[in-house]
Amino acid sequence: MRISRRSLLKGAAAAGAAGAVTALAGKAEASEHEPKHRPDAVGMLYDSTLCVGCRACVTKCKEANQLPVDASAMQGTEKPVYDAPNDLNGQTKNIIKVFKDGERFAFMKQQCMHCVDPSCVSVCMMGALHKEGEGTRTIAGETKGTGIVAYDKATCVGCRYCQIACAFNVPKFEWLEPLPRIVKCELCRHRADKTKQGPLAVANPACCEVCPREAVIYGKREELLAIARRRLAADPKRYNGKIYGEKDGGGTQVLYLAAAGIGFHDLGLPDLPETSAASFSEHVSHTPYLHGITPLVLYGTAAFVIHRNKQKEETAERHEEGK
Amino acid sequence: MSAHAHPKPIGGKLLDPTMKVLLGLFGLAVLIMIYRFAAGVGPVSNMTDGYAWGIWEPINVVVFTGIGAGAYSVGLLCYLLNKGRYHPFVRPAVLVGAVAYSLGGSSILIALGRYWNAYLLAAVPIWNLNSVLLEVAVCVISYVLVLWVEVLPAVLEGAAESKSPAFARLGRIWGPRLSKAMPFVIALAVLLPTMHQSSLGGLMLIATTKVDPLWHTWALPMLALISCLSMGYGAVVVLTNLLNFTWKAKVDQELFADMSKVNGGLLFLFAGLRVVDIVAQGKLHYLARLDHHLFFFLLEMALFLVPAFQFFSPRVRRNRGRLFGAALMSIAAGALWRVDTYLTCFNAGEGWQYFPSVGETLITIGMAAVGVAVFLLVSRLFPVVVVEDAHGHSHVGAGEVRPAVSR
Repeated sequence: MRISRRSLLKGAAAAGAAGAVTALAGKAEASEHEPKHRPDAVGMLYDSTLCVGCRACVTKCKEANQLPVDASAMQGTEKPVYDAPNDLNGQTKNIIKVFKDGERFAFMKQQCMHCVDPSCVSVCMMGALHKEGEGTRTIAGETKGTGIVAYDKATCVGCRYCQIACAFNVPKFEWLEPLPRIVKCELCRHRADKTKQGPLAVANPACCEVCPREAVIYGKREELLAIARRRLAADPKRYNGKIYGEKDGGGTQVLYLAAAGIGFHDLGLPDLPETSAASFSEHVSHTPYLHGITPLVLYGTAAFVIHRNKQKEETAERHEEGK
Repeated sequence: MSAHAHPKPIGGKLLDPTMKVLLGLFGLAVLIMIYRFAAGVGPVSNMTDGYAWGIWEPINVVVFTGIGAGAYSVGLLCYLLNKGRYHPFVRPAVLVGAVAYSLGGSSILIALGRYWNAYLLAAVPIWNLNSVLLEVAVCVISYVLVLWVEVLPAVLEGAAESKSPAFARLGRIWGPRLSKAMPFVIALAVLLPTMHQSSLGGLMLIATTKVDPLWHTWALPMLALISCLSMGYGAVVVLTNLLNFTWKAKVDQELFADMSKVNGGLLFLFAGLRVVDIVAQGKLHYLARLDHHLFFFLLEMALFLVPAFQFFSPRVRRNRGRLFGAALMSIAAGALWRVDTYLTCFNAGEGWQYFPSVGETLITIGMAAVGVAVFLLVSRLFPVVVVEDAHGHSHVGAGEVRPAVSR
């Protein structure tokens, strides 16, 4: 059968339109995961062996982030008067928990891990959760390279995919609000002091500022890693020998040390491989698209075959009528 | 061609008792929705930070669109493989697809916390192209439009036969114009579902620690794509049979049986792929857990394999009831696998529990009800369903069903 030149042209035009969309899809693959190196990334180091569980950081966090009190851990008591959240939630960005198992016990601080390659950022449809200063938008006042996972409610649709994606269950949703937001630690980047030098110029976590034992400290991730390594080397019997977050889940900007005999799993941190879930998901999702070629070819082939079948059918009908 | 049959508007009373019940259920859902928008998602649902999607995403979106994939699976047979005999299935399947996908899309708006920002999906420069959900959202919205365009030929045909001259002119002018453009629209209807149905599996790739190892695999997108085709073929058989009970829709057992062979092949492929994947990844030991994971895995396997064997058995293929049962099972198989991946075998960590609230369930039921209602309404007014007996029915738009491309 013959294809008229006109129909071929029409097919080409339609394929071109589809191409504009799929070229975008191809661009995403191109930007996929060169290992991101951020020498100025900031984070925290929490040393469980130093924490005495005073919860000053929990209170200070609420104050610094203007979060309402939450007495959920005091349910059943006569008069819940203290701020006593029982987990991270829509009113709590930071919490101290305790792990107990017979003789063994240890404190644990939970807040956003500020992953090096965060799942929440990978899945967020329009970059409401993004690495500060990175992503598809430029937002005034954001510093590039801090690696802080920031939240911008302006483009958040509240789909809660971040909650599904985060292995640490950090992003929380305001379930009881008619106009809800996602709530999570942003490393107190709003408390940054531009007049200062170094890490304090980009953020100033209230929890680190208030901690009386310096169990949680703030600084550049690379420096915190060095400090953690020095502590492990200086007193190897004190610790379990590992720095959580150095490589776990592709690395996190909040690092943890725990006492000998206490596994990070006991403290509620998930066992993660060294490759991030984001790179796995993006790799599997992008690969079949072949930089946008697959959809183009599929559309072109489908349009061509369907068009040809239609003409065949019409020719057959004309023959039938002619008889 | 002899296979070309005549779809007719069913006509009849629009507000019959069935319709009243359906609209009643939807009305109830609307009341709960109003409460949801006033008070937030929390008070009407049992969703928590650990089960952030509840049943709305897994059922209203993932399962509804699976059922709506009949438009995709039959379209592949008819248009791409040029199996013209399946044309009588096209219009009902496309209408179910259009309805199911529209419902999936609108259900999401209810579930979205910050729904008023949803218009930003049109802002292409801020798209995060790594987000599987963005792909699903954009692709599903585009596909809803494509599906309703695919429904248009039936509407225009109806209009062309209308008594009103204005409508008739509209139908006569735009019908042929649309027909010329149809191949390029249908090609989109092939491309878009391939993309977003695989993405509906791909959505859970990121939840490496939460989706049970027996369900979490790199093959999720492929499995989701196969399962939507199979659910689609099943849905067409079930739908046409149901329409036969109610409206004497034409049932061609041989056609069903042949199409179901394709479905059987897909079901075998799905089950085979799952087992090979579990063995290859060394996950067999997860089957040693005597808990709900094992139960749902076995139930899934049974739901995939039983109809797969049935579709190839001559006894079942000849018997309308048995084939209907097998088709129903093939829908249930895909639906269960989807719900397991998203909900039953999804666990955010210790301490999280979830069971849908009455409000959540009523909204899901209400959305399904309004879907059935829209299907009934359109089929009564426009030539969608091919009926056995033309007598006693309206002859409006009683044209031949041809491939949509030649309409």
